[in-house]
Order: sequence, then structure tokens, then C-alpha cells
Amino acid sequence: MNKYLYDGTPEGLVSAIGAILESGDDPEKTVLGIRQDTLFEEGLFLRTDSAFAEALFGRLRQRAPDAVQTLWYFTMAETSELETSLLRYIALAFEHGDRVNGYLTHPDVKAVVAIARKAGRELHRMKGLLRFEQLRDGSWLARMEPDHNVIQPLARHFSRRLRAQEWFIYDARRHSAAHWNGHALSFGNLEQFSRPKLSPEERVVQQHWQTFFKTIAIPERKNPRLQQSNMPAKYWKYLTEKQGE
Amino acid sequence: MELQEKITILSGAARYDASCASSGSSREGSACGVGNTSQGGICHSWSDDGRCISLLKILLSNDCRYDCAYCVNRSSNPVPRASFTAREVVDLTMEFYRRNYIEGLFLSSAVNVSPDHTMEEMVRVAEILRNEERFGGYIHLKIIPGSSDELVRRAGLAADRISVNIELPSHESLQRLAPQKKKEAILAPMKLIGTEAGVSLVERRKSRKAPRFAPAGQSTQMIIGASPETDLQILQLSQGLYRKMNLKRVYYSAFVPVNEDNRLPVLSAPPLLREHRLYQADWLLRFYGFSPEEILSDDAPNLDESFDPKTAWALRHPEFFPVEINRADYATLLRVPGIGVVSAKRIIAARRFAPVTHEGMKKIGVVMKRAKYFITCSGRPFDKIDQQPARLRQRLLLGDGSEQKQPRQLVLPGLFA
Repeated sequence: MNKYLYDGTPEGLVSAIGAILESGDDPEKTVLGIRQDTLFEEGLFLRTDSAFAEALFGRLRQRAPDAVQTLWYFTMAETSELETSLLRYIALAFEHGDRVNGYLTHPDVKAVVAIARKAGRELHRMKGLLRFEQLRDGSWLARMEPDHNVIQPLARHFSRRLRAQEWFIYDARRHSAAHWNGHALSFGNLEQFSRPKLSPEERVVQQHWQTFFKTIAIPERKNPRLQQSNMPAKYWKYLTEKQGE
Repeated sequence: MELQEKITILSGAARYDASCASSGSSREGSACGVGNTSQGGICHSWSDDGRCISLLKILLSNDCRYDCAYCVNRSSNPVPRASFTAREVVDLTMEFYRRNYIEGLFLSSAVNVSPDHTMEEMVRVAEILRNEERFGGYIHLKIIPGSSDELVRRAGLAADRISVNIELPSHESLQRLAPQKKKEAILAPMKLIGTEAGVSLVERRKSRKAPRFAPAGQSTQMIIGASPETDLQILQLSQGLYRKMNLKRVYYSAFVPVNEDNRLPVLSAPPLLREHRLYQADWLLRFYGFSPEEILSDDAPNLDESFDPKTAWALRHPEFFPVEINRADYATLLRVPGIGVVSAKRIIAARRFAPVTHEGMKKIGVVMKRAKYFITCSGRPFDKIDQQPARLRQRLLLGDGSEQKQPRQLVLPGLFA
């Protein structure tokens, strides 16, 4: 069994995988993990090499575009401990192309695809559950705390949808933000964040929405369990219609 | 009247419309406009009855001259009446859309002066949204039976989806419970929409610039349990609508008794489980290659409440089983209880690599608590299975704690809508 270590960053992970594949080791007999900096750690440390990671992405995109998509969702999940599965998944993707995503009976493929699917599902959910509020200067702000790091693809979605308005998306869990100025997207981190003042009309529209939300339900069919299973309570904090409950 | 009050009255009056899908249309937004649509649809919230909210579902007016027995807005009901102006609906849609509350607008209306009068106003809302606001989001318009062909055409050009409600599953029931509505007035616009949509598809194949007519197709809705039709009759009607009228979706709405009327049955609760079973059976018609006569027969014309319709079919057809997972074709896999469209495709993809085992079936996402009685993997059954139908019924009932007990309401994922 060969053991390798990397620095714990997504880039480090991809470049380590590239190095292992290049070395010719059998992925089924190889283990990859994060370096913990303990005294007697076993394994060979692989340095992060962005250019190398980029090159691996490029080759994989040619061979298996769907697998690159899965890999991209997988990194959004910010999961640790599945590095070895990812290594074997990518080795299989080079071997079989996009058909690899159908090999769900393979434990490593299953593990990677399941994680990626979870992140993908939350991304889709946030496309619906994100709420923008109008600020005093006329721009818009949406706040969220998703489990997965979905801000980049989410911002791209809204850059097509809400093209004509200036907006910000703030991920309060990761202190990261996206900004659309009407023409281009930018991303950054915010160390400090305080919610700016809302526009005077904002409260009125929010009340309209709350009224609609309340009256659209059929009282004879009340089903709070079904509501919660579709819209878990962890998202309610930022949902206009769930304020004051 | 305050806008707030109008919203209360006119969303309360619209809540019995089942449809809320925002799928089936992909519209790119324009650079100066607001909004686009997504092929799979997006749900934005879930109301207290657990149903998905994806559109601002609202009536333009609830001031109705008709007096249909089942309807909360019928003229003889002493309920508060309200009407929006076209501008109010447009502004509300835009304000909600910019905040990402909704995918778009679902607009229906009661009929006061005349069908054309109401339809004209509804079409105007959609046309203002498209032409003045450059709105690229989803629009679903209800067609008022009896309105002119020209208005139906304009509705189809402005909207993503249009629908004509069939209301009740038979001509006789319609006559009894909604005597002012005529079957012909419902079927004529359905036919017209089907034709126009077909023409538009042909034109668009010739030129990408040709206008799109209701790109997300047409749907309809019928009320279940207010009239005596059997499930077999209902499914046959749906099948006819899918085949002959080219409908995208038929919605079933469990009858909620909102009026006292001796023409209506007395129910303690809306028949939610029956509604759920009908949606499952409808799914079998559209995606699983079943016919209504396979699901039900004249001897047993109603769906079994204890089992989903596919399991019920499997119990009646022991000769079809067991199905060998590593050899069966797609259509055969689809007939196994617990295997859906997604898992059937996944089985076929996975067995290219290696034979699928029982363990593998779980990884693929097959509902093994149902499927295990009906399959073999490389010749091996799950365990020693007693295929005797009566005992199998019993095992499925007892072993399936989660299968029902509580009437579950179908959530309509946008995926196939």
C-alpha cells in the first residue's frame, strides 16, 4: 500500500491526484490523505502545483466532461476523508470516460457521486430559496448559510437571471461574497459584515409576500411535515416568508 | 381597497388550482430585461399544506357570474370580492421576481362580464410583462372557456404554458355541477392550442425567429371526488387527453368541500390518498408504458389504496416475475415495483461494468423493500421468496411501514413535468 499526503486545499488535492496517476502506482493500492503535521506521519508529501492541477483538469475535461462536473460539485462539498475515493474515481474516469458515473456499484464511484449529488441538490435548492432584499442605494442583497460552498455557480445563475440589477450574495458561514455590477461578476471575502439599511418600500413588498404565502395554503390540507421535508428548517433563518415564526 | 387585502382575497381564491409547475420552458433572458426560465423548473418555497410554490398563483378577479356547485367563488356565495388592475398584477410579479420569491406568474380569473372581457384583460397582463417590462420569466395563463380564438392565440404567444380546466371527469357531471359550462367550450380551445403549438414547432424548425406558442405545452385540471366517476374512467380520459390533445400534464385535485350544496357528496376530508394514487397511475401512463386497462379493469375500476398502482399490478401478474436484473431490458425493468425511471437507467449503466448484485441495487437507489420480492440478480433471488400472491400481499403490507398509513401528497418535481 502506497501512502501519500497533501496540504488539504482543493488545489493540493487535484495536483496530488495528478502526481499519483503520473507515477504509475495502482490507485486501488494507494491511499491519499491530508498532512496532519504530526511527528511520525507516514506517507510521501506531494506539493501543491496549480499548473499541474490545471493540466489534469484540462485532460480530464477532454476525456470525461461529466466527470469534471462531478469533481467540481465534489469540491463544493468541502468534504474531507474521501481523497482516496476521489483518486480512484478519477483513475476510472480516465479509463472509462463519462461512463464512470454509471458505475454506481463501485464503492468509490458511489461515494464521490453521492457527495457531488448532495452539493448539486443544494445548489439547485438555493436557486429557489435565496431571497434578495432591496437596499437604500437601490442595490440588492441576499444572505445565506448553505452547507456546501455553492456561491460561485449560484452567482452565475443570477447573473443571467437578474442581469439588470446590481446585487450581492453573502455566504455568512464562509464570509464570502459575490457581486454583480450589471456587467460582470466578482468574488471576495468579507471579514466584517453588517446588514445595510433596507429601502423604504422593502418592508411593504415583504409583507405582500408573507400574505401571499399564508393564504395560498389550503387549510383543509395542512401538512407541516411535508413542508419541512421539502424546505428544511435550517434554511428558514433567511426566508422572508418564515420570519416571525 | 388596499393591495394587501386584494392579495389575501385573490390568492385565497386561487389556492384550489393544483398546477404550480414552472418547468418545460427554457427562455434566455435579454440583456435589458429581467428573468429567464429553467427547463427543469425551480421551486421557491413550500406552503403550509406542503405544496411547492414556484409561481405567483393568483386570480385577476373572483367576481363570478357562474354558479358552479364546487367552487368557492360561485356567484351565490357571500364572499368578499376583489379585482386587480392589470398594472397591479404586473407590478406584483416584478417585485416578487426581483426578490427571487417566484419563477413567474400563474394567472386565472373568475368570469364576470363575458369570457372575452376577462380573457382580454388576462392577456394584457402577460403582454405588458413581456413587451413593456421585458420579463423573461415563466407565465402560465388559464384560458377562459368560451373566449375567442384570437385571444387564445395571443395568450399562447405571450405565455409559456396555457391550460383549460376540464373541471370534472365527465360530461354528465359537468352538466350537473357546472351547468353554465359546456364541454364543447372546454374542448374547442384545447384543440386549437394543440394545433397552434404543432404549427409553431414546424415553423421554428424552419426559422429560429418564428414565434413560440406555449413552449411548455398545455395542461388541465380535474376535481376528484366531487362526482361519481371511477379511477378507470378518469385514467382513460387522461390517456385520451395525452394522446389526442397532446397535453403535457393532467392535474388531479382532491375535492375540498367549500360549499353546502345537496348536489355534492358529504366528505369528512379531501380524498388525498386517492389523489396521490391517481398521480402515481398518471406517471405510469406517461413514463412507464402502461395503459389504463392494465392498471384497472371493469371488475376492479378503482385504485387500491394500500398499494401503489405498480405494486398492485405486479401482485396480479406473478407470471411476469421474477425479473432478472442483469438481463432484462429497460421496459421490463420499469415494471418492477421499487424501480423507477432513474434506477432502471442506472441499472443498465452499471451492469456494463460488472453484474449488479443485491448490494449494488441498494447503491443504485432501488427501493429494495418493494423490489426484493420481484427480482433475481444473476439468478439469485433476494432470499427464499414465497411468491404466493396472498402471502406476498401480506408481506408487502406489513413490511412497508413507510409506504402509506398517512396519506402522502404528491410533490410534483419539475423534472418530468
